[in-house]
Amino acid sequence: MTATFIYNNLYIYLFVALFLLCCGILGLLYRRSLIGMLISVELIMNGAGLNFVAFNRFVSPDNAYGLSFALFIMGIAAAEAAIALGIIILIFRKFRHIEGQKIKEMKD
Amino acid sequence: MQFADIIFLIIIFVTMIGALVTVLSGSIIYAMIGLVTTMFGIAGIYVYLNAPFLAMMQILIYVGAISILIAFAIMLAGPLYKNPKEWTTITKFIASLVVSVFSFLVFFKVIMHASWMNTKAKEFTVTTKEIGRALFDKLTFPFELISLLIIVSIIGAIMLALLSKGEE
Repeated sequence: MTATFIYNNLYIYLFVALFLLCCGILGLLYRRSLIGMLISVELIMNGAGLNFVAFNRFVSPDNAYGLSFALFIMGIAAAEAAIALGIIILIFRKFRHIEGQKIKEMKD
Repeated sequence: MQFADIIFLIIIFVTMIGALVTVLSGSIIYAMIGLVTTMFGIAGIYVYLNAPFLAMMQILIYVGAISILIAFAIMLAGPLYKNPKEWTTITKFIASLVVSVFSFLVFFKVIMHASWMNTKAKEFTVTTKEIGRALFDKLTFPFELISLLIIVSIIGAIMLALLSKGEE
């Protein structure tokens, strides 16, 4: 009875995470503004967290280490978003745009 | 097909549509809305993976905090959403698509040919108590490192704001 459910399969979670990773790579490569690239990085980190939780559920279901590392990934994503958005606002005040290709100089 | 399967497939469909909207939409504000949709879908998948605490944390942190932060950055960084041409050239888009599809095929082959130990789900639900016990028993050092990282990032963000105000 329980074996007939679709969600009792490891591979479908891995494929969803892989889809998120590839969408993140695509957005990270062709987005022009820095905020779009940051959003793509958030997609990649969510795919990694989904992988951790799926492996914890299916491969080693006796402990909670995968869930804890998914929480760590959320903390790292929050810190990274705060720092990156601060730097983006600073770049906008200095250059008056946030396009990644046109930022060529790091200091005056 | 059971009723739970139909809900699960709907959740996965919503997640994938949200990811595609996030990547392929022209303006950044639509990309942010697609990111919120994707986060809700991943929270639903976490519920199906027997982790309701993680689903609540996902909604609280990503939908409640990070997307609002991104919205503030979009509003502060000028009206960039008025010009909908996001990608520069079509050749750059095709090159990015080739890289993405190639990495998809490589990892697809890796997933299909690797032998995971047991892919049958046991009837064991990890509760929030187990997560807290693991965080304060075996994973204390990474937990403290995460707190240090968040403190450093807060101080760094404040210093960036002060520094930019000083230059004005």
